[in-house]
Amino acid sequence: MSSLLVLDNVVKRFGGIVATNGLSFHVDRGESLALIGPNGAGKTTIFSLIMGEHRQNSGTIKLNGEEISNLPTHKRIQKGVARTYQVPRPFSEMDVAGNIRVGMMPDNLWQMITRGADPDGELAIARSVGFRDADLSRKPSELSMGDLRKLELARTLATRPEVMLLDEVFAGLTVGEIEQISHLLAEKRKQGLTYIIVSHDLRALEPLVDRAVAMTFGKAIAEGSFSDVMDDEAVRSAYLGQ
Amino acid sequence: MLQVLIQGFLLSGLYALIAVGFTLIFSVGRVLNLAYGAYLMIGGYAYFYMVQTLGMPKLPGFLFAIGMGALAGVLMYRILVKRLKGDQVAVEISTLILAVVIQAGIVLVFNDSSKILHPIVDGVWRIGSTTITNNILVAMVASWFILGGLLLFVKKTHVGRAMQAVSMDAKGARISGINTDRVNMMTWAISGALGAVAGVFFASYTQLNPSMWVAPLIIAVAVVIVGGIGSIVGTLIVAHIIGFMEIITTTFIAAELRGVFTMLLIIGVLVIRPQGLFGRGDL
Amino acid sequence: MPRLLLAWAAFAVIMLLLPQVVSPGTLRIIIFANFLAIFAMSWDFISGKTGYISFGHPFLIGIGAYTSAILSYRFGVPVSLSIPLAVLATMIGGTLFFLPALRIKGTYFALVTLAFMELMYQLVQVIRPDLTGGTRGISGIKTILSGAVPNFYLSFGLMFAIALALWLLSRTRIGTALDAISMNEEAVSGSGLNTTRLKLFAFMVSALVAGLGGAFYAHYLGSIAPRALFDINFVFTIIVSALIGGSSTVIGPIIGAYFMTFLLEYLRPVLPGSERYLVYGLIALVLYVYQPKGIMELLRKLGVRAGGGRTGRAGNV
Ligand SMILES: Nc1ncnc2c1ncn2[C@@H]1O[C@H](COP(=O)(O)OP(=O)(O)OP(=O)(O)O)[C@@H](O)[C@H]1O
Ligand SMILES: [Mg+2]
Repeated sequence: MSSLLVLDNVVKRFGGIVATNGLSFHVDRGESLALIGPNGAGKTTIFSLIMGEHRQNSGTIKLNGEEISNLPTHKRIQKGVARTYQVPRPFSEMDVAGNIRVGMMPDNLWQMITRGADPDGELAIARSVGFRDADLSRKPSELSMGDLRKLELARTLATRPEVMLLDEVFAGLTVGEIEQISHLLAEKRKQGLTYIIVSHDLRALEPLVDRAVAMTFGKAIAEGSFSDVMDDEAVRSAYLGQ
Repeated sequence: MLQVLIQGFLLSGLYALIAVGFTLIFSVGRVLNLAYGAYLMIGGYAYFYMVQTLGMPKLPGFLFAIGMGALAGVLMYRILVKRLKGDQVAVEISTLILAVVIQAGIVLVFNDSSKILHPIVDGVWRIGSTTITNNILVAMVASWFILGGLLLFVKKTHVGRAMQAVSMDAKGARISGINTDRVNMMTWAISGALGAVAGVFFASYTQLNPSMWVAPLIIAVAVVIVGGIGSIVGTLIVAHIIGFMEIITTTFIAAELRGVFTMLLIIGVLVIRPQGLFGRGDL
Repeated sequence: MPRLLLAWAAFAVIMLLLPQVVSPGTLRIIIFANFLAIFAMSWDFISGKTGYISFGHPFLIGIGAYTSAILSYRFGVPVSLSIPLAVLATMIGGTLFFLPALRIKGTYFALVTLAFMELMYQLVQVIRPDLTGGTRGISGIKTILSGAVPNFYLSFGLMFAIALALWLLSRTRIGTALDAISMNEEAVSGSGLNTTRLKLFAFMVSALVAGLGGAFYAHYLGSIAPRALFDINFVFTIIVSALIGGSSTVIGPIIGAYFMTFLLEYLRPVLPGSERYLVYGLIALVLYVYQPKGIMELLRKLGVRAGGGRTGRAGNV
C-alpha cells in the first residue's frame, strides 16, 4: 500500500538558515504520526512546506502519490491537506459559525453566490470539536485559548481533509483543556482521520500516535514507535542539549 | 549634453533632500507619513511669512521654518501616530486626511493664490552656455551636506544609533532599554525639520501654493519605494535616477511627460521587486 | 432579512417623496451625495471588504467618465451604448489595477494605486488631447436628463440599485469570504479558496460600480476636467465618506457620503471658500481616529443602549 503523504529529501533554506535539511518521512492512510524536536528544529517549517505557504528549495512532497509541490495552497487543501496554526489566527471579526463557514465553502464563485450557507453542517462541525450550540455566535475575542484551538480544529475539519497537520495543539492550554482536545483527537483517530501532530507535551502526545519522527536542525534523527524514539540516545541528547 | 548633466545633478540633489526626511520616518517608525508633503509646505510658508511678509533677515526666517517643521513633526507623532499604535494603514489614511486639513489651514491663513518666493541666494553661475542660479546650486550643496551629516549622525551619535536599533528591531530595542517613544519622537522632529528645509528650497525653485505638497510627496514615495526601505545611500541613488530621468524626458521627449516615468518606475518596482532595488538596508 | 428589506423599501419611499418637500437647490446637493455614495461604495467593495486600500480610485472613475464622454461627444455614440462601453473599459482598467494586488498588499498596494491615478492624470493631458481635451477636459457632454428633479430620480435610482445589489451580494457566502480576506488572507487560502479569484471578483465589482458612477456623473455634469477628477482631494472625499459612514457595510458609505456632503454645504455660509475642508477634515480625522468603524458603529452603540442591549447582529447591513 502506498503512503498518503510522503516527503523525500526536503530542503528549505531561509537566507543562511537551513530550516529543513534533507528531511524524509511518510505517513500512511489512517495513521497518526508525532513530529517532535526542540524549538527551532523545523517542525512548523515542514507544515508550511506541505501547505505551500513556503516552497522548498529541493526535494519532493507527494500526496496520494501525486507531486503537490507546484500547487498553490488552496489547491493542496482541495487535494486533502489542512493545518492548524501554532498561534491561532481566526477571522477575528467573525463568530465561530462564520469561521467554520469559510472553511466549508466550495471554491466556486457561482456556488458561493447562489447557494446559501449550511447552518446544520456548521453546527455539526462545531459540536464535533466540543463547542456548545451557544458558542456559535461568539467572537474569537470572547474565546479562551482552549476554545481558540478548538476553532482552529473546526475550521480545518470543515475543509474535509484527508490528512491534518496539527501544530502545537496543546500549547497554552489548561490541564482540563488538554484532556478535552486529546479526547477529541482520539475520537477522530478512531474514525480514521490521518494526522501529523507537533507538540512539546510528550505525555499528552504518546497515547495519540502510532509512530513518531524526531528531528533536530532540520534532519530526522530517529523514527519508530513513540517509546523507541523517546529512548533513542540521539533524541535524548537533542532534547537535553537545547 | 552638459546642460542635461548639470540640471540633472541639481534636480536630483533637491529630490534627495525632499526624500530623506520621509525615508527616515519610514525606516525608524515603519509607517508612511502621507502628511510629509505638508512639512515642505509649512516650511515654505513659514519662511515666506518671516522674510517676505515681516521683512526679517533670511537666516532667522530659515530657522523659524525649521522650527515649525520640527514642531509639526512632534505634534503629528504625539497626537496622531502614537495613538494608532503602528497600524500602518490607519496611519496612512489619517495622515492623508491631515495633509488635506493642513492644506485647508494654509488657505485660511494665506489664501489660495500662488506666491513667489525670492531666491534664498541671489545670483547666477555660468558654465559654458548654461546658466544656473546660485539658489539651486546651494540647494544641491546643502542637500549633500545634510545627507552626509545625517549619515554621520546616525552612525556616530548615541541618538543616531538608538534610531538605527529601533529601525532594525523595535521590540528588541525596547527590551534592551532604549526609550523607543523618545527615539520615535526625535525622528519625527528631525523628519519635520528636514522636510521644512527641503520645502524652502523647493518653494524657491517652483512656487508656494496650498497644493504644493502633492508633488514632493510623490517624489518622496517614489524614492523610498524604489530605493528600498530606509537606506540613505539608496535614497541618494534613486533621487538621481528620478531626477535625471525627468530632465532627460523634459529635454528630449516632452516636458509634460516628465512625471510619467516616475509613476511607471513606482508601479514597476513595486510589482516586480516590492522590497525595492536596494533591498532593506539599514539606515 | 424581511425586516431589513422593509428598511430598504422605507428608505426608497422617503427618498422618492423628497422632491415634494425640498428645494431644487437641496436636491442638487443630494444628487452630488448620491454620486459620492456610489464612488464610496465602489471603494469600499475593494478596500473596506478585502482590506486592499485604494488611494487611486479616481483612476477607475475617470476611465468610466472619459470613455463615455469621448464616445458620445467626439464620436456621437448614443449614451445607451457609450455607458455600457465605458463600464467595460473600466473593468478592463480594473484588471490592470488588480495586477499589483497579486504580489503586494497594505501600504505598497495603496501607493501603487496612487501612482496609477497620477499616471492617468498626466497621460490624459498629453496623449491624444484632441480626444481627451487635454488639460481643459471636455465640456458640452450630452446630458441624459435636465432639471434637478429628474436628475435626482436618476441618480437616486442608480445609487439605490447599486446599493441593493451590493447589499444582496455581501450577504451571500462570497461576501463572507471577501470579509475574511481582510482579516486573514492566508487562512482563506488555507480553507481551500482561491483568493486571487476572489480578489479579482471584488475588483471587477468595484470597477463596474466605479465605471457606472463615473459615466453617469460625466453625463450629469456635462463636463469633465483632469484636475478635478484625478485629484487627491477627490480620493480623500471618497475614502472619508466610506470610513466615516462605516467601512465594510453597504449603508455606511451612503450615510458617510450624505453626512459629508451636507456638512460641506452647511459650512458654506460660515466658511465660503475651500477652508471648509479644514473643519470637514478635522471632523473626519477625529471620527476616524476615535471610531474607526464610523457612524454606523456609533448608531449601533446608541441603538444597543436605547434598545436595552438588543443583541441583533448588525451583519452586513
Ligand atoms: N519565515 C522565516 N524566515 C526566516 N527564518 C525562519 C522562518 N521560519 C522559520 N525560520 C527559521 O527556521 C528554523 C526552524 O523554525 P521552525 O519554526 O520550523 O521550528 P519549530 O521546530 O517549529 O520550532 P518551535 O518548536 O519553536 O515551534 C528556525 O531557526 C527559524 O528561526
Ligand atoms: Mg513551530
